[in-house]
Amino acid sequence: MAILGIPILENLYPVTMDMWPVQAKEFNRIWQFYENLKQGRFTTTKCKNCGKVAYPPRVVCPDCYSENLEYIDLPTKGKVIIFSEEVRGVPLGFESPLIHAVIDLGVEPVRRLLSRIVNCPAGYLKEGDEVQLCVFPVPSHPIEKGKQGTIMVDRVFFAFEPVKKP
Amino acid sequence: MARRAVILAGGQCKWGVREAHLVDLFQEAAKACFDDIPTLKPKDVDGLIVATSYAGRCSFQVNTAPVIAERLGLKPTSICTRCDTLCAGGSTGIILAKGLVEAGMADIVMVAGGEKLYTPQKWEVFYSELASVDHDWDGAQGMGLPPPFFALTAKEHMKHYGTKKEDLAAVSVTNYNYAVDNPVAQMQKALTLEEAMSAPEVVPPLTLYDCCPITDGAAACIITTDEIAKNLTDRPLVYIRGVAQVCLNSVTANFPGEHLADWKHLRVAAEKAYKAAKVSPSDIKVAQTHDCFSISEVIEVEELGFCKKGEGGSFCSSGQIRIGGKVPINTDGGLLACGHPFGATGIRQAIEIMKQLQGRARHQVKDADIGLTHNLSGANAEHTILIYGREPVK
Repeated sequence: MAILGIPILENLYPVTMDMWPVQAKEFNRIWQFYENLKQGRFTTTKCKNCGKVAYPPRVVCPDCYSENLEYIDLPTKGKVIIFSEEVRGVPLGFESPLIHAVIDLGVEPVRRLLSRIVNCPAGYLKEGDEVQLCVFPVPSHPIEKGKQGTIMVDRVFFAFEPVKKP
Repeated sequence: MARRAVILAGGQCKWGVREAHLVDLFQEAAKACFDDIPTLKPKDVDGLIVATSYAGRCSFQVNTAPVIAERLGLKPTSICTRCDTLCAGGSTGIILAKGLVEAGMADIVMVAGGEKLYTPQKWEVFYSELASVDHDWDGAQGMGLPPPFFALTAKEHMKHYGTKKEDLAAVSVTNYNYAVDNPVAQMQKALTLEEAMSAPEVVPPLTLYDCCPITDGAAACIITTDEIAKNLTDRPLVYIRGVAQVCLNSVTANFPGEHLADWKHLRVAAEKAYKAAKVSPSDIKVAQTHDCFSISEVIEVEELGFCKKGEGGSFCSSGQIRIGGKVPINTDGGLLACGHPFGATGIRQAIEIMKQLQGRARHQVKDADIGLTHNLSGANAEHTILIYGREPVK
């Protein structure tokens, strides 16, 4: 992959310019969240000490500072509270229409989750509509693994989509 | 006697799309600042606080404080550092400088903020804005550029309080018209309500003039003690009476209000700043609130206590934010018309309030003795307030 104007970066992947999270175990202690996403599960961490459920997932409980946490499933369906639609001038990396919604997943701490809505044409979504989790692949990136050389790691990310197909 | 912080002087360069490097903009701003106080020389400045957020991304420069100090001919011996609270960076620098000079750890501190956001290709700054919010959670959801978030905020305000598009447009019209004669503002355009109402769509209900532009620019001011200031100027002293900076969340899912138009964190900040400054909302004669979007100013006048919750739209559209209104706001044009080079904005606001309280503002508010500046930053993740006065807190 050539980087125009920066010949020394030819065939290098500038991960510091990456729009998606670096999810690999080697670089992120909440890698389990992304592994769960790959199974279609939307999860976060619950403190086994004090019971606090935090979103996004943590490695330390923000209430009691315990490190004794477990992953729990969050609902994967919710209702649209409010939404916005951007049709023109959508930023690089996203497709038009870029739709955002505040979604009520019915339980704390995701009563007002702000997510992108995908697989939905402009003008289709309404307040109160039911939406569901949508997991999709995002580009792999390289990691240097010592003697193994450079490996590519698979990644996913998530948004929500209308339950009732357009 | 207790040391009490004042803002002594300030200046900014021309803001807009600038044919200049980041360090050029800082030099222009520092020159404008020293031009404002001819009795003060660069060698007298013993501290420098630099506010910039995008130097790392857009100018490939971190550890900016020594770089800027050298370019400005400063040799700080008390403090030389950088702060990054994005849109509130300049205000953060002033808060830190106040603390340092009042603690006796510094005497004369320059707070300088700036950004060079227009890169040779525009996509880089838009793309880099993914770093302005919590990258892995909100950035990856396409929330890097703020219009969608503030469109949601506007829709919530309309839904809960009946605010109309005309109310938003009134904010844009007021602020643009304050800047018509401001030579350093990015926009110097007389705007009519009709133009604002028929402007191109950004993210509905927000249209072009509801959104502040992307801006290159820098600003600088001097924070010192009242005793030192008295030896340098005959102008009225402008004290920093009280400050607050409140952060209750970062990821949008954890927004602290009941809905996106309910800014609990701003109420907390206001209560704390008013208490520290020993004033109430009705004492504020002039204010600079963070009008990154027209809807922001509508909500800010409510949460700052200038009107009742839910009445911000009619407060703004009925002329209460104009000269002669209850609280003239953003009297130099605000972010909407001056532009918004993140780290510089809080300093621009401070300079305008200083000038108002010294009776030398372009759009002067009569008998202005107490003024307020406010910033929100990130995806509405933090609120910062400074209250200035002609008299110190007693």
